[in-house]
Amino acid sequence: MIEMERISKVYRMGEVRLEALKEISLRIEAAEFISIMGPSGSGKSTLLNIIGCLDTPSGGSYFLEEKNVAGLGFDELSTVRNRKIGFVFQNFNLLPYATTYENIELPMLFNGRSGKRRRERVRELLEMVGLVEWQHHRPSELSGGQQQRVAIARALANDPSLILADEPTGNLDSKTGEEIMGLFVKLQGQGRTILMVTHDTHIASYSQRTIQLLDGRIV
Amino acid sequence: MRAQLFRYFAKELRKRKKKTALVTFAITWGTLSILLLMSFGRGLSNSFRISFKGLGDNLIMVYRGQTSKDYHGLPKGRRIMIYPRDIALLSALIPEIGLVSPESNDYFMITAAGRETNRNVCGVGPAFGVMRSMIAESGGRFINEEDERTARRVAFIGWNMAENLFPGENPVGRTIVISRVPFTVIGVMKKKLQNSSYQGFDADHAYIPHSTFSRIHTQLYIDRIHVQPKRREDNQLVERRIREILGRKYRFDPEDDYALGIWNTIEQAEEAEKGFRGVEIFLAIIGGLTLLIGAVGVTNLMYALVKERTREIGIKMALGARRRHIILQFLLETVFIFSKGMFWGAAVAYAIVRLTRLVPISYELSGIQTYLLRPIFSLDILVIFLAILGTLVFLSGIFPAVRASRLNPVEALRYE
Repeated sequence: MIEMERISKVYRMGEVRLEALKEISLRIEAAEFISIMGPSGSGKSTLLNIIGCLDTPSGGSYFLEEKNVAGLGFDELSTVRNRKIGFVFQNFNLLPYATTYENIELPMLFNGRSGKRRRERVRELLEMVGLVEWQHHRPSELSGGQQQRVAIARALANDPSLILADEPTGNLDSKTGEEIMGLFVKLQGQGRTILMVTHDTHIASYSQRTIQLLDGRIV
Repeated sequence: MRAQLFRYFAKELRKRKKKTALVTFAITWGTLSILLLMSFGRGLSNSFRISFKGLGDNLIMVYRGQTSKDYHGLPKGRRIMIYPRDIALLSALIPEIGLVSPESNDYFMITAAGRETNRNVCGVGPAFGVMRSMIAESGGRFINEEDERTARRVAFIGWNMAENLFPGENPVGRTIVISRVPFTVIGVMKKKLQNSSYQGFDADHAYIPHSTFSRIHTQLYIDRIHVQPKRREDNQLVERRIREILGRKYRFDPEDDYALGIWNTIEQAEEAEKGFRGVEIFLAIIGGLTLLIGAVGVTNLMYALVKERTREIGIKMALGARRRHIILQFLLETVFIFSKGMFWGAAVAYAIVRLTRLVPISYELSGIQTYLLRPIFSLDILVIFLAILGTLVFLSGIFPAVRASRLNPVEALRYE
């Protein structure tokens, strides 16, 4: 599913050179559920952003489902993100003025699915996350747990094989967090690969494998 | 690009109506003020043009004078008179002259229907009416050749005099008595704008055939000759020829400006025309500069709208939006906001111009309202304005849109 060879990421801030990732090599199989842990500044988010094609590495090679994505341009990466990757964020990142329905529909608008297929898919996802009766509400009218479920439904809109979650339970109480983890487990059961950044060991215990990062290296 | 995406952009814009209201208002206001500026400016110079022609169109007036130079042994200070026969002489010798008419005038007591007034009575030729833009109200006419040839006792009167002597009635066919001689009113002058005059405005005068005037008045000379050249461009030539011909006849130096008084309104009109052009160009420049300042302001507002939506742009990018999706959305929003603002601005400006034109203006005195209350909303103003603004819209929309599309998705997502 994911093959990374000596991936590095260097930030330049004026004279200062900051190595966020130092020659990381990584192999992740399909349908794995992996958590990435490590202290802040260890490069967790940077790694996740590169895996998610939001950022490009400074060096190394990255194959996503046998496709080399290290050299792709912005629009090609957009297509990869749109079709293959679903994002779940700590602060949900829903569009504030759009309803539940519209937020879930959004990723499908960027790849031209027909109106009928979009409606069917949104309905399916609403049922899956149990928000059918909340479909016309805006994010501000929903609880944190509900908002995160909208975000998960949105991440699944184009049926991606890879789910990337950055502290998905960070803004939720522990009971809601457990519910969200329940959903993740279910998604893994459907054959999706899940990568989750967290520093909560309890949450990490839902995954089968943990990658520990420290100072930009896997330990 | 797919239609569904456009529908989505429209939907998002509707939801963000309140956020864009300020920009829309700014553009409406800018459009309104610039269009009004240009409409009123054009109306102003147009009214000037019309009332300038109120005295007469393409007119050269020749007055009696007094020499100021010695000439062939003759001393300066001699009075130079002009006589009716000079008119035939001038028209015979100057082929460039189109119309010509004598004018003599004096104040007489005029009575009619028990009312009495002391007014200027002018003896004029049939061509005078055309030269001085005098049009008869329907049912009446100006003095004609036959009136002049047979010295008929007929009068053409100004609208003010008509109102004074026959309030609320039609004076045509009625009798007025000038200096104890009865005259039949043959026409009343239609109202016209007039901003230059001598011895009062045309509205207050009575006009009778020059031949008739000579019979009720004792003077042999005439006060003025009105000349209209066939072609405007010949005005200087005609003026010079008049000085030469009358100079030879009455023995004065054609270079002596005081021997004959000549009022060349064509020359004056050409000067004034430059002034009107100047005013219009000046207003257009002011309008253009205002528009430029406005465009800078709107660009800023659009930047602010983009900045406010940084996080949202990051989200869309994460979900698979391409650069052109982002550019297109912002550009379309700018175009839409501008179109809406411009539409309302132009509509309100048009309404104001139309309503202002409904206000009646006074012809009695060419007051400020004459110039202010006749704005002109013309298509060429609108087209020029839209062309300039269209360019500015594109420029003020494209930069924020491109900046938005160049955002780094990671940083955009982190933006608070």
